[in-house]
Amino acid sequence: MADRQTRSPVREPRTPAQELLDELGPVTQFHDTSHLGAFGMPSGAMTEDMLSPVATASSPTRFGPLEKVHAFWFAGASCDGCSVAVTGASTPSLESLLLGAHPGLPRVVLHHPVLNVESGAHYLRPAEQAIAGELDAPYVVILEGSIMDELVANAAGGYWSSQGEEPWGPNGELRPVTATEWVARLAPNSAAMIAIGTCATWGGIPSAEGNPTGAMSLMDFLGKDYRSVLGVPVVNVPGCPPIGDNFNETVAAVLYFLQGFGPLPEFDELGRPAWLFGETVHRNCVRGAYYEEGSFAKEFGDPECLVEIGCWGPVVNCNITSRGAINHVGGCMNAGGACIGCTMPGFPDKFTPFYKRPPGSMASTTVSRMVGSVIRPLRKFSNNNLNREVRWDRQGATPSAFSREKSEPSALSHASHKFYDTLRRSSDTARNDADVWGKRDEAPSGGSPPSRA
Amino acid sequence: MCFKTLPVEFDDRGNATLRGGIPNPYDVTVAKPHLARSDVERREGIERLVARNGHIKDMNMDPVTRIAGALAVHVTADLEKGAYLDSHAQATLFRGYEVILMGRDPRDAIFVASRACGVCGGVHAHAAAYAIEQAMGICPPPLGTVVRNMTEAAEMGYDNPLHLYLLAGPDYSEAVIKSSNPELWPLAEKWSCVNEHIHGFKTMADLMTALNPLTGALYREGLEFTRLSREMVVLLTGKYPHPENVVPGGVSTTLTLQTLNEFHSRLGKIFDYAQRMMAVWDDIPAFFYEADDRYQFVGYRPTNHIDPGYWDDPYAYDATYENCNAWGEKRWSTPGVVIDGELVTTRLTDINIGWEEFVEHSYYDESSTSRYSHDMLGNPLSPYHPWNKRTLPKPGARDWKDKYTWACTPRWDRKVVEAGCYSRLLMTAMAQKLPASDFISATGTSMRLLVPKGEVGEREVEWRVPERWNAFERNRGRAYHYLFSQLVALESLLEAYKLMKQGEKRVAALDPSALEKAIPKDERVSVGWWGAGRGWLTHHLVMDKGKITNYQICTPSTINASPRDPWGQPGPYEEAVMNTPIIEDVSDPARFTSIDMLRAIRSFDPCMPCTTHVHTGEGEVVREVNTCSCGGD
Repeated sequence: MADRQTRSPVREPRTPAQELLDELGPVTQFHDTSHLGAFGMPSGAMTEDMLSPVATASSPTRFGPLEKVHAFWFAGASCDGCSVAVTGASTPSLESLLLGAHPGLPRVVLHHPVLNVESGAHYLRPAEQAIAGELDAPYVVILEGSIMDELVANAAGGYWSSQGEEPWGPNGELRPVTATEWVARLAPNSAAMIAIGTCATWGGIPSAEGNPTGAMSLMDFLGKDYRSVLGVPVVNVPGCPPIGDNFNETVAAVLYFLQGFGPLPEFDELGRPAWLFGETVHRNCVRGAYYEEGSFAKEFGDPECLVEIGCWGPVVNCNITSRGAINHVGGCMNAGGACIGCTMPGFPDKFTPFYKRPPGSMASTTVSRMVGSVIRPLRKFSNNNLNREVRWDRQGATPSAFSREKSEPSALSHASHKFYDTLRRSSDTARNDADVWGKRDEAPSGGSPPSRA
Repeated sequence: MCFKTLPVEFDDRGNATLRGGIPNPYDVTVAKPHLARSDVERREGIERLVARNGHIKDMNMDPVTRIAGALAVHVTADLEKGAYLDSHAQATLFRGYEVILMGRDPRDAIFVASRACGVCGGVHAHAAAYAIEQAMGICPPPLGTVVRNMTEAAEMGYDNPLHLYLLAGPDYSEAVIKSSNPELWPLAEKWSCVNEHIHGFKTMADLMTALNPLTGALYREGLEFTRLSREMVVLLTGKYPHPENVVPGGVSTTLTLQTLNEFHSRLGKIFDYAQRMMAVWDDIPAFFYEADDRYQFVGYRPTNHIDPGYWDDPYAYDATYENCNAWGEKRWSTPGVVIDGELVTTRLTDINIGWEEFVEHSYYDESSTSRYSHDMLGNPLSPYHPWNKRTLPKPGARDWKDKYTWACTPRWDRKVVEAGCYSRLLMTAMAQKLPASDFISATGTSMRLLVPKGEVGEREVEWRVPERWNAFERNRGRAYHYLFSQLVALESLLEAYKLMKQGEKRVAALDPSALEKAIPKDERVSVGWWGAGRGWLTHHLVMDKGKITNYQICTPSTINASPRDPWGQPGPYEEAVMNTPIIEDVSDPARFTSIDMLRAIRSFDPCMPCTTHVHTGEGEVVREVNTCSCGGD
């Protein structure tokens, strides 16, 4: 199998998805629902129908052509962390998408094993309809977790990851159907294939060195030439976990565009939303300025830049420091966590061992220490002056009663600030000699005395 | 004498030894529990019944939704007798995280193992840190432990409402009751809620309507509160799930008064909500028990629970195995084992040495070893103990009599035990060893919890050890555990204030370069005992020459979803389903929804992602797996 994990996808005649489908063959038969009865259907209705009274309560406001989109959520080698992240999102929230309550967007009919009310074969029915081409609206497939090499497990008569059974065994017997197989069968007619989280986008931890399952990313599985029916390659929203709002925003952005009012969302060369992953996480880091001034954390918990305690932020594409983790709260470096590159295709093996400074940071931190040794004192100098009221300057005293009494500037410092003020006011139009006629000539009693100078 | 099946005895000083004169004391044919009939005989009998009778349905529900991860449940249901004759729980996912950890730097375990579960967020990162710290002999400073406690208590604040309202709640909602249990609806309309003054719902029907998926007020409120608690977590961890702040020897959180205040202010909103949550999950069992006494047996199991404790005393915890019984008993949630309603031990060493994992019915090759015959204190260990386990993943065909799941079979003293967040209440209530607190106390048969004043006034509530553990009591216990965990968050927050007041700043034992130098080069064996949203969590680590040579994760849902053991004893899900009466109206067999089974299963709060990564091999084993799988390729 080692060779299945290392061979070049570019030279292979078939993608892993094609290989699997060739092995398993086409399917035509599905569950016999008459035999099934209500088994696994405790509310007597599919989740879609249960929500319909709210989701289609009145005629939808007409923003665009789409009224409904199905979204099939599959979990490969996953930890469900992406699902959890999405339930935390609020721009837009999951519930507003599902209830058709986000103005301008079509109702999203989500088929998600963690949320749906129906279980078992009933739960799988819409996916069967999609494969048979009988679904009543366009669909997208969302994959969380990596694709595992099920050809290998299949050869041993088993599976790595199954979700549901279908009568696709010999003589129409029920057999477990893997997430990998569902994805392969649904991809050709999907409006979009969206990978959420670093496992689905780049393989992630399940595909790390030494893995026994041959785990890979969705784009590795479907191959370079994959295009959805809308002509879109695999869309990737990475992160381990991803920021829930990054995902919901990407879905919404695509739908805004399809509805005719949003701009064409820009994706980078790896299929990431460019407006979310175009910057390194360092560029918006709340601790970035410490780097600029050459101040670095030495111990875990220190407030300065974390590069020397293992942070890879300057070379990692991510927006968590500006967006936060949930509801704009959190963010790795905001809280004191060093970046381990969890949004990156090189994660994890290009970042291990963790808690160790990236060797490449040596050059840049040395330079920033040198620059910082000059910049930091200058900034402190100005900062000291700005921490004084103009009145204190005039009076020559700071009436602070806190134990750390403010010291008064030295004569040299005072003179330097005077010089600085002169520079600052060199183009100040207040110095022009126009007549001010909008006030009384005399100042009210006790008004500003003339400047000490 | 806590062991009844394993031939383990204790001397006067409490040290364990094997009873003398027994060859192969751990052989499965030597030490075995008492059982009436073999499982194979039973299954064959059932198959004959199915073949003969039309009213017996043999069905597989795959997937079971509204649980975390991939679970399928096979049932044989006798619709005439209203009984589940048989049940098989199948974990249908394997990812091989422990295999990936083999041969890595031990520092990688925290961030890699964290990815075992994204529902339980930070618990694996913490358990890995505890395992590494024990192996390396480094102890976090008090503030580091306090931050971990705050994080993990806040995490429960997300986990419990997520389960009660998004996953289990819909099973008790108007939408499901009207369809699956229509006979209950008129009763619900007439039933005045006992706790209306707390939660505001006049009748049970009103309450059930609020539980409707996505549209119900309780469902939506629950979702919002999961978000609030996640905000509390990310203040400390940076992100959720998968914290960015856990380091060997402490945390890397930059703690300021702002951090504490933001945590505090969010926590302040939770206590009123906790009162409403307990009121809801007190009223639901009251209504169902009154409506039909048989609901007492939905999901019923004997009171056999296990828990390794949770949330350390920052001053007692010293990261050693040698002192684990002392610091273990000082945890906010006391470690323990309850068998048939009796608390048999609160010692972590007893919990550890009685632990075994079997793979007879799982997709693995057998590979117990006798690498470690004793733990570091000289207590005997089974060849099936996680430190000795070398399980080899092997996908294969499903067979109810043979292998049918990716979960393995953990047992304590070869007994079927259950894990749950509610098990924490049980152990802590019975042991009466928890730290002194203004808010939490134990009476031996109950937990008394003082809810601080919010907009609603201060109130003391009491959770009593239930007479019969069933689906309703698990859910009720989870609601009370929500409050318990939030009170631990409050106590930990107050401790953080106190430490900050004392000028304490250190949150980690070592800086990164000292950490690198501290990695030992000799062979070390350790265990991280921790908890998850569903109870028990352990990481067993073996390292040598500075790298990981074995890693075993055991999660609560592995315990609960376990298949039959070598003696045919069903796992907790299976047992609970087989004890569940079919109460729904199945006079027309086509209307059989299996709602009673679903209520039983969901009451455990199944969390499958991390269930199936318990399985490791050493280097050569991994290659063996590859070869065998490649053979048919």
